[in-house]
Amino acid sequence: MAKKRTSHRVLPGFGLTFGFTVFYTSLIVLIPLAGLFFLTSQMTWAEFWAKAVTDPRVVASYKLSFGAAFIAAIINAVFGFLVAWVLVRYSFWGKRIVDALVDLPFALPTAVSGIALTTLYAHTGWIGQWFDSFGIRIAYTPTGIVLALTLIGLPFVVRTVQPALEDLEAELEEAASSLGATRGQTFRRVIFPAILPSLLSGFTLAFARAVGEFGSVYFIAGNMPYKTEIAPLLIIIKLEQYDYHGAAAIGVVMLLASFTFIFIINLLQAWSRRHQ
Amino acid sequence: MTIEAKNITKTFGNYEALKEVSVTVPSGKLVALLGPSGSGKTTLLRIIAGLEQADHGQILMDGRDTTDASARDRRVGFVFQHYALFRHMTVFDNVAFGLRVKKRAERPSREEIRSRVMELLKMVQIDWLADRLPNQLSGGQRQRVALARALAVEPKVLLLDEPFGALDAKVRKELRRWLRRLHDEIHVTSIFVTHDVDEALEVADEVVVMNQARIEQVGPPDEVYEHPANSFVYHFLGSVNLFHTRVRDGQVHLGDDVLDVKTDGEEALVHARPHDIEIAREAENGGWLKAQVLRIHTIGPIVRVELLRADDQSLSEAELTRERYAALRLIVGEDVFFRPRASKIYSAP
Repeated sequence: MAKKRTSHRVLPGFGLTFGFTVFYTSLIVLIPLAGLFFLTSQMTWAEFWAKAVTDPRVVASYKLSFGAAFIAAIINAVFGFLVAWVLVRYSFWGKRIVDALVDLPFALPTAVSGIALTTLYAHTGWIGQWFDSFGIRIAYTPTGIVLALTLIGLPFVVRTVQPALEDLEAELEEAASSLGATRGQTFRRVIFPAILPSLLSGFTLAFARAVGEFGSVYFIAGNMPYKTEIAPLLIIIKLEQYDYHGAAAIGVVMLLASFTFIFIINLLQAWSRRHQ
Repeated sequence: MTIEAKNITKTFGNYEALKEVSVTVPSGKLVALLGPSGSGKTTLLRIIAGLEQADHGQILMDGRDTTDASARDRRVGFVFQHYALFRHMTVFDNVAFGLRVKKRAERPSREEIRSRVMELLKMVQIDWLADRLPNQLSGGQRQRVALARALAVEPKVLLLDEPFGALDAKVRKELRRWLRRLHDEIHVTSIFVTHDVDEALEVADEVVVMNQARIEQVGPPDEVYEHPANSFVYHFLGSVNLFHTRVRDGQVHLGDDVLDVKTDGEEALVHARPHDIEIAREAENGGWLKAQVLRIHTIGPIVRVELLRADDQSLSEAELTRERYAALRLIVGEDVFFRPRASKIYSAP
């Protein structure tokens, strides 16, 4: 395509735009990440293994970071879908306000949402005290971390599912119902499969965002080693101890894990999109 | 199944889509709802299907009141203009959908579903496309899938909403002839909505002409075409030349000609189709109007001549065969005589 002289595109030639794209992504993404790998490569394998793979404190933080992010992304997939559904399918008073509220986690400094959540859900807080009377603690536990990650991930699911739902023709449901399908069958067999690829996108984005989240979790987690200490926090702790190699090693492991995970979801998505 | 719509009224906000519409569709017939956009024809079809609820009135199917039944209880097959195929399902799965969502007790076995679907796909002549996805098909093929899907549940009524509207002209003609043949085979009571006059006249057993939320005329295609009930139907079915005249003593006077009619009112309108206009060089006897040839267009087998009447400067249009045109040797700008060979007279509105 690059050599076709007859094609008239709006943007100037493939060579120029592609060159810029490579330069730009290198500058913003590739070079910083390469630096991470470079720093890690200065360690020996044994060192790397001990600092980033077998250290029980680090392992605990990985489990917490990925586990909490995964649970939060699943919660967001379910309830984000519901919010998107309500926003697309019904008109009600204050719809625009709700619609704007969804974007708030994008804009709010995460530290602010972290502090707000901690205040509300601490065992003395407005909401936390009710849970406390049942013996459930939210702030300073993994539950609190999931809560914070759910908050920051919500818009990703809603904003990816919403347009897909809007594009879904009402005729599809009418066709299903005239063919004798119940509402449940129509949802399961017609609507859900059509939305699934965008739901998976939203899930992936919410998950990726949650894995990297630091600000809001820092306040609500309590940051107890082995219990409520997330991997990004551990990186900061290492940095504060001038252990740059240790920090970079954890970064590399997280990067590879995230990459693998997102790759798997993309495969799933490609599989479900093949039927579109 | 006989379908009766009785006094159906439907409004959307301030807009009246149907006003007291009543119509009966006899069992086993193929009926066209014909009208301009906004005439209420699609709304009527959707009310019969149960996809829309009427504000007033009843829908009877074989005498049974189904006004409040939902779409899924009516056993109606519906075909949409834009196919509404399930994009993530293969052609086979689309057609099998209606069978697979049946209650367990009524659901056919896997083999039965398989043979039934393949039989339907064979009937609509696309059995070789069973494993394709809808986006791999042409428009005409998609509409065949939609039709097979609707027929799979053995509906008692088949409703088609502008079924050929999204197809190009050639495919449209092919598909409508094929639909006619298919209907002759399976005889399911069918109603289709169209704004295409040719389509309605060619395919339907009966044509229901609608305008502005009301029914103007119901009848077999020939009868509707030959005897339009009023000026609207006449206009809608084809091009028209209008001649303003006055009724005197129960007679209409057109040029020097006198047509015997009994039309009340001061003014009458003589309606004549362009192909019913004759042109001559000499006015032999009465009834000829003098006119100037304004323009000549050749369109395939016909020649369209625009005429400017000498007496009142109004425009008329005549359609001649190529042979007649060659014989007359008309030239733009010259004076000729013309008259309607056949016409209909309606009182002026």
